[in-house]
Amino acid sequence: MRRDLERVEVPDAEAARERAHGVVVAAYGEREAIPVRRRPLRLAAVCAVLAVAAVVGAAFSPPGEAVVDRIREVIGVERAQPALFRLPTDGRLLVASDSGVWVVEQDGKKRLLPGYREASWSPFGRFVVATKANELAALERDGDVRWTLARGNVRSPRWTGSESDTRIAYLDRSGIRIVAGDGTGDRGLSPEVAPIAWRPGAGYVLGQLQASELRLQDATTGRVISRARAGLATEVLGFSWAPNGERALVVHPWELTVVDPERNTSRPISFAAADVVGAAFSPTGTTIAVLRANELVLLDPAHPRVRTRVFAGEGPFQSVAWSPDGRWLLIGWPAADQWVFVRADGGSIRAVGNVSEQFRSRTFPRSDGWCC
Amino acid sequence: MRGAQRGSASDLEALFEAHWPRAHRAAYLVVHDAALAEDIAQEGFLAAIRSLDRFDRGRPFGPWLHRIVVNRAIDAARARNLRREAELTDGSAVEDAREPVDSSVLAALAGLPPEQRAVVVLRHLLGYTPGEIARTLDLPRGTVNSRLRRGLDAMRETL
Repeated sequence: MRRDLERVEVPDAEAARERAHGVVVAAYGEREAIPVRRRPLRLAAVCAVLAVAAVVGAAFSPPGEAVVDRIREVIGVERAQPALFRLPTDGRLLVASDSGVWVVEQDGKKRLLPGYREASWSPFGRFVVATKANELAALERDGDVRWTLARGNVRSPRWTGSESDTRIAYLDRSGIRIVAGDGTGDRGLSPEVAPIAWRPGAGYVLGQLQASELRLQDATTGRVISRARAGLATEVLGFSWAPNGERALVVHPWELTVVDPERNTSRPISFAAADVVGAAFSPTGTTIAVLRANELVLLDPAHPRVRTRVFAGEGPFQSVAWSPDGRWLLIGWPAADQWVFVRADGGSIRAVGNVSEQFRSRTFPRSDGWCC
Repeated sequence: MRGAQRGSASDLEALFEAHWPRAHRAAYLVVHDAALAEDIAQEGFLAAIRSLDRFDRGRPFGPWLHRIVVNRAIDAARARNLRREAELTDGSAVEDAREPVDSSVLAALAGLPPEQRAVVVLRHLLGYTPGEIARTLDLPRGTVNSRLRRGLDAMRETL
């Protein structure tokens, strides 16, 4: 039996060994390169509890060793700035926190839109659409409210369109709804609640993930244009499009699915552990950034086995966003209370600490978009 | 191992060369997907590097690596089976990344559930005793023995 198992030919074994060798040696080289610091003081209480557990565990059982290891973990980028003084490149951020939605300008100026829970940018970044529990609102960046709509359990607002005409899609108790950018013509599009994303390109075509398929619906006529297989509809962490609108990206904890609705094909990109946190196409559409629990990797969707690791740490990380120029990525590191800006070419990182305090939030603030 | 812990790149390379082929092969025999097996084995090594400073030098490296790799391979194979079952119910057009099964022993192994495949691989490729397999997979020894017996019986029927 052993001889038989050793004779089984593993396809592409030598190339796999070479690829893995490169990745492993590079990771070993990076081991000292990523500066880390001890847990912040605010975690001292947690550490104290773990320390007691460690002593007890180590004293009474061999598996206690794992607990001791947890105490030794180090979290965060060492030389983090104490505040967000400026973004590393052009653009503006939308940030959702317990106190509301924040607009962060490139020079670091912040403005709070109080009480809102979730937001997204208008197509050219001049306006913001934001939600409260029972309200959808369009606002200027300085907080002036242009219009509001009272709707129950509003969420997932998505804005698309041109300089002269725009549409907003959102979810409420009744399903998927559409309203024009000026607040007129609000109407239901589908009675089913599902992850939604506007398909870039001509017309108003809304992608919806419904029961293992990607459904494309014309928001003007209501007609369903096409349906494509899209993998499991459960545990969807993210749903977005490549900038040219040719492929959709569905994010699950254990894999990404790249869906081509024209060809009705879906291509799974699997990961060895179910630890994918988020993923997004770059602004050029040539690269996908994949954030896993403790690393950020870039891959070419045409050759998904070749992955470039651009950042790693003890994690767990949360949310990933590309800068509009595609040169930087922003990831959240809740345990360290840091945001880490990572150059997409792996050239450098810039970290910002005290994120929760800066955005007056008990929970870790979330980036809702980095726009033009 | 000691040299790799001290920062010796050549010792790390030696560790990789010594353990990669078996880890990769074991993962492949469980998941039957070369690309996924590559990921699993690679991530086993990356996990090892992340924990290198904390690794107990008194313990052998191989069993520790095999534990990570085989457990991840079982999880991946289960997830893949679940996904395929769900999608096949509505005639999916998902591209199947699994390799065509050609050799007879591989075909026989492919007919087993992932948990039985893993036990057979640990026993007959990696040479662990049932007691060591039980510790590796966190299973009762009786469960290991029954999986091994059922797995081998099923393979014999196929072969």
